[in-house]
Amino acid sequence: MSPLRRFLRAPEAVAGAILLSALMAMALSASLLFPSDPQAIAGPALLPPFQDWSLPLGTDRLGRDVLAELFHGARTSLAVGLAAAAASLAIGAVVGTLAGFAGGLVDEVLMRITDAFQTVPGFLLALAFVSVVGPSLGAVVIAIALGTWTGPARIARAEVLSIRERDYVASARAIGMHPLEIAFREVLPNALPPVLAMSSVIVAAAILTEAALSFLGLGDPNRVTWGGMIAEGRTVLRTAPFLSIVPGMALVLTVLGVYLAGEGIVETTAVRRGLS
Amino acid sequence: MSGFTISRRKMLAGSAMLLASTAMPTLGRAQTPKKGGRLVLAADSEPRNLNPAIVASNGVFFISSKIVETLAEASFDGKDGLAPRLALGWEGAADGLSVTFKLRDGVKWHDGKPFTSADVAFSALQIWKPLQNLGRTVFKDLAAVDTPDDLTAVFKFAKPTPFQLIRNALPALSSVVPKHIYEVGKIEDNPANNAPIGTGPFKFGEYKAGQYYRLTKNTDYWGKDEPWLDEIIYQVLPDRTSAANALEAGEIQLAAFSAVPLADLGRISKVPGLRVISKGYEGLTYQLVVEINHRRKELADVKVRQAIAHAIDKDFVVKTVFLGYAATATGPVPKNDPQFYTADVPTYPFDVAKANALLDEAGYKKGPDGKRFTLKLLPAPYFNETKQFGDYLRQALAAIGIDAELVNNDSAAHIKAVYTDHAFDLAVGPPVFRGDPAISTTILVQSGIADGVPFSNQGGYKNDALDALIAKASETLDTTARTDLYKEFQKEVAADLPLINVAEWSFISVASDKLGNIANNPRWAVSNWADTYLAG
Repeated sequence: MSPLRRFLRAPEAVAGAILLSALMAMALSASLLFPSDPQAIAGPALLPPFQDWSLPLGTDRLGRDVLAELFHGARTSLAVGLAAAAASLAIGAVVGTLAGFAGGLVDEVLMRITDAFQTVPGFLLALAFVSVVGPSLGAVVIAIALGTWTGPARIARAEVLSIRERDYVASARAIGMHPLEIAFREVLPNALPPVLAMSSVIVAAAILTEAALSFLGLGDPNRVTWGGMIAEGRTVLRTAPFLSIVPGMALVLTVLGVYLAGEGIVETTAVRRGLS
Repeated sequence: MSGFTISRRKMLAGSAMLLASTAMPTLGRAQTPKKGGRLVLAADSEPRNLNPAIVASNGVFFISSKIVETLAEASFDGKDGLAPRLALGWEGAADGLSVTFKLRDGVKWHDGKPFTSADVAFSALQIWKPLQNLGRTVFKDLAAVDTPDDLTAVFKFAKPTPFQLIRNALPALSSVVPKHIYEVGKIEDNPANNAPIGTGPFKFGEYKAGQYYRLTKNTDYWGKDEPWLDEIIYQVLPDRTSAANALEAGEIQLAAFSAVPLADLGRISKVPGLRVISKGYEGLTYQLVVEINHRRKELADVKVRQAIAHAIDKDFVVKTVFLGYAATATGPVPKNDPQFYTADVPTYPFDVAKANALLDEAGYKKGPDGKRFTLKLLPAPYFNETKQFGDYLRQALAAIGIDAELVNNDSAAHIKAVYTDHAFDLAVGPPVFRGDPAISTTILVQSGIADGVPFSNQGGYKNDALDALIAKASETLDTTARTDLYKEFQKEVAADLPLINVAEWSFISVASDKLGNIANNPRWAVSNWADTYLAG
């Protein structure tokens, strides 16, 4: 049975894939469907959803189109989620590989640094970082990566520790390859799959962290973000609850989609590895 | 004159009054006043220093004005808009070099010691003039305070000081604190700053951080049969939605200073037993202002500033950002001010085409991407409304080809960025008009102010004619002549636009029907509440 067919037979995985592709479609089509500035004032303020079909999800407190904001917000969420996960995996893989492969003092130092980062709650770290650097998309990505790279680093190190004793590593040494070349060309690629398996969790966590930062007013104010939309809607929660509920639902479905799809991929690949 | 004043007041209240009109009949209905009872109300901030003589701000007054009294309080119908408190009468000399206060007899401090003119002299010379945020400007020429007897205090000024200014400053700037408590040690470190001792109708009870402030009745108060309440509890409710919920649940009887979000007022006005009141803040007008950094080449051009003024739809701002609980502004003095306001100033009606034409004329043509230039916009974080107006302004500027990049900061960082580092092109600020332009308004446009003074001209604006006008007004003693000079000042500011006044707003209270004698003076929320009662 091919991995794809196995993936398609797991209902959760399919649901996740559908949610995720819907999100991707939203993010990609945002500028096609809503080419103008999503923060432009489009109609009367606080229009409830399903009243005016040119503004299907209504408008917020300034009269901005909620649907356009939702689509453009999907872009920010996805971009931040993917970029933060990529950054965190990259940092984690490099640190883990170096520590595991070099061993000794380098290992000690790198792992204690990892411990130090791991003991500080990731969200607190992100909060502190953004408060100091100032809110911008790049700062938010780095802030999230700062709190999440430790997991991948530990897994990468554990994998590298077992791989470095393999025969092909010994032979690479024997032919006189540079240790760094061995670490990153021979060992790292083989240590990567279990590290990548963490990516879905990290993407989901990154999207949530970004939303939480925006909610607290530490997101990039020049971009629409779902967290920012929820924060905006919070002041009128009693009179216009849809302003918080709509982006809140989008956030829930996105995180669910990323997680389910990620789990599905891990399951299928794990079975394949187990069989082989 | 008084009829005129009232029409002004109604103008500000505008649609707020309309909305509240359903609740109005209950305001006039006779309730049965009752002695005693505990008033619980919402407090959204917890000032550390509660000494109003040092920190003259509404956050401090809200609590400490019940404990520490001023020489006079603002009044709807009193002479010169004042009602006596610790002073019974005040008279300015014709040469502007002295003001004589007759003080109230038989007043005691909360610790039992008698209140005398020595306390007034001490407060004025040792605190208001050197330490108080606002007093530093108003009392800068105060040289001495003579105390010929216990009930007379004569303020002597080194330079002629307009009596009108001193009068207008009394409600906010003249909190009297006890000399015998403050004369030992450093005034700033005195424990009474955190547990104030005054002459007011309520004594400081206790403060539990994050929970409440408790004030108890002063049984020795000078006012006959006052205060009516036994206790006032300020329940700390920093979350704006929780104040509305607490009111509905009957846990609190009052949410002042717009603790209930404007968007919730429509709903809450329909709740039986609660009423929405926009009166009682006429003396506390906040102004929504676009602060401009004139160091930016583009913004130094008056045509660009006029274009920005034309790009702002003030009616939209009042209707959408303030939900009608505000008035559009024409200049640096708010419309509801009875003494100084003039409507005879250049105005900038909302006109995008004209704004675009002005920018073209100034030589800033649209680039191929439709943008003329990029600006950094810093909305002040203190109010939801200032932040929302920042969002609006960004869109309004986009419509005339100016790309504004929003920068959000917390309060401390915002003050540093705008008033010390000047790291802004445009900022949105909420200065307060305090009854006289010389108290905190002229400083917004005057040149030669040191870096780092918050809520002052830090945009590098310099206009010699305007500076001369401000200087002349500050030493003009005749009330009519002085008022005319400030009318001239408004015209000049509106013409040259060192800053852009967009709207004027004040606050809304939501109170239980049982609460009586509320909103009965223009600074009610920060007055002493001696006559406020809870009906049975």
